[in-house]
Amino acid sequence: MAARLPGLGAVVAAPLVLLARAVDPPLRWWQRVAGQGGMAAVFLLPNLAIFGVFVLVPLALNLVYSTTAGTGILLGGRSFVGAAQYARLLECGDYLDALTCREDMFWTATANTFVFVVFQVTTMVAVATITALILNREIRGRGFFRAVFFFPVLLSPVVVGLIWRWILQRQGLLNLIMVSLGLDPEVWLNDRTYAFAATIGVSVWAHMGFYTLILLAGLQAIPKDLYEAAEMDGTPPARVFRRITLPLLGPNLAVVLVLALIRGVQIFDEVYVLTGGGPGTSTLYLTQYIYEVGFASVLRNPGLAAAASILMGLVLVVLTLCQLRLSRRGAARDAK
Amino acid sequence: MGRIALHDIRKRFGATEIIHGVDLAVEDGELVVFVGPSGCGKSTLLRLIAGLDRPSSGTIEIDGRDVTRLSAAERGLAMVFQSYALYPHMTVRQNLSFGLENTKMARDEVARRIDAAARMLEIAPLLDRRPTQLSGGQRQRVAIGRAIVREPAAFLLDEPLSNLDAELRVTMRAELAQLHARLTTTMIHVTHDQVEAMTLADRIVVLRQGRIEQVATPLDLFNRPANLFVAGFVGAPNMNLLSATARDGRAALPGGLDIPVPRDGPCTIGIRPQHLHPAEPGAPALEGQVTLVEALGTETVLHARTPDGTALTTVVQGQSPLRPGQTLRLTPDPHEIHRFDADGLRMDDPGAAR
Repeated sequence: MAARLPGLGAVVAAPLVLLARAVDPPLRWWQRVAGQGGMAAVFLLPNLAIFGVFVLVPLALNLVYSTTAGTGILLGGRSFVGAAQYARLLECGDYLDALTCREDMFWTATANTFVFVVFQVTTMVAVATITALILNREIRGRGFFRAVFFFPVLLSPVVVGLIWRWILQRQGLLNLIMVSLGLDPEVWLNDRTYAFAATIGVSVWAHMGFYTLILLAGLQAIPKDLYEAAEMDGTPPARVFRRITLPLLGPNLAVVLVLALIRGVQIFDEVYVLTGGGPGTSTLYLTQYIYEVGFASVLRNPGLAAAASILMGLVLVVLTLCQLRLSRRGAARDAK
Repeated sequence: MGRIALHDIRKRFGATEIIHGVDLAVEDGELVVFVGPSGCGKSTLLRLIAGLDRPSSGTIEIDGRDVTRLSAAERGLAMVFQSYALYPHMTVRQNLSFGLENTKMARDEVARRIDAAARMLEIAPLLDRRPTQLSGGQRQRVAIGRAIVREPAAFLLDEPLSNLDAELRVTMRAELAQLHARLTTTMIHVTHDQVEAMTLADRIVVLRQGRIEQVATPLDLFNRPANLFVAGFVGAPNMNLLSATARDGRAALPGGLDIPVPRDGPCTIGIRPQHLHPAEPGAPALEGQVTLVEALGTETVLHARTPDGTALTTVVQGQSPLRPGQTLRLTPDPHEIHRFDADGLRMDDPGAAR
């Protein structure tokens, strides 16, 4: 009989156990010195440091930039202008007509983003709900399909943009197929409407897996008994959906809606790679505007970009507060 | 009306058959309890009758009509679920009316039925509350109310009392019995609790591993268990089971007792703890050392062990002075002895004039 080999778990755990034993005495000494409350701070510090360097400091810098003018990145070369950058962004003859505004591109991008978010979020919630409902059924290969629908979420947005550009471009896969079927090829990404639809379709394709997962979790939390009780009563499927599934899925749908809104407003990478904001400015969204004004144009204006991003940030803060309230209400309901 | 008949019902999940050909008739107005250890198939059988699952073969009839292929709703039965399955986002009233609205029933008829059920179950003050605002017992009533308003051919109850605490369970058990007496509608009640089965049932169906072991009234089940499994399952404390070998029509038990047996060969002698009495001095008796004394006040359960290691249990009325380690001499009531053959099946008492 062969000697029993240690399991993989034991092999992986062994060095960790050694490490834990090694750091235990100094940590205990430290706790004696710092006290229990102090120790909590010690453990929080690494994460706080990272959060500070990459979030808090940039946020503060952004506020500073938005109140200064100049093309330089170094703060020393910039002059304080107060709220002038904000005033410049908001200076408009008629807010409904971007061309009457001083920064017409800002308002074009804002209008584009607004329309994009309305269509994209509606499509996203609808498609994710339908997909979750289908994946919640006892279908063959359910595990496989769950993985397939989630897979795009794991892709880098740039890869998503590249894949779809390769499919949709003039000599792309889609046109190749259309020609082989005897159809006329289309210039998908050079047509205002098609390009706009493509940005919606691609972003929904890339992110719906995440929302589907949230909704699927919500669907699975609905007790099966409720459906069986409805079945005993002969409840038609449409009524079961409207009176049982939808109300009980409500909290999850609300979370999905707000999360999709927040991420919709921030849309950038996939679209930038796919259409670059074109044709013309028809798919120019806010984040791309901010990026181009701050970094990519000849006369770059970090102050203006910072002011625009602060304004966008305010919208996101409002949406995030909504999301927090919704999820707290959901948690309070579950705790009952 | 609600006569339910099962003919050779089988249920397979994949390659595993879990109900092995069940035949059963439940008469109209009868309260039948399915009882058995967990995994015996009692809930599965109830779901097959309900129409929530389909049998792999066999037929189900309700009032002579073959309903095997009909949907749950078309069978006209109502089910009370173990978890109650109340819709959490609806008020009690909406829970009661939800099923009726599917049938396009007139508004005032819906209201009349809810009213009647609420009065019968004393839940009228709760009609505008949500299930989360109710206690366990109140939820249970609402679940039963939701079944009553349907005015079904039969009620199917899947372990309806198992989520209640012990005290409430006893109360609800009595209420269920009263409810059945008042409604006189067929009820099939599933439980793993043999006391619940004994107190509620007109007839009990004992199930084990997807087969019916015995169908009988509670007292028949207690007095004449058809086999060793039923003998061990019904009655508390459990029946004493002593192995023996019968020769010349008699089985010898330790201590010089011998019991008349209709057939020779290996057999099992069953004696309920209630039917073992203290032996006269000098008379043949089962002898053992007391190992445990359970004093319940009105009665005392004594556990003992014979010299050859057989465990014995007896119940004596009142309180016993015996302590662990003392010797106990017991003799069985000769009219209350159960005999089982080598296959565990009941052999009839040769002396009894039944």
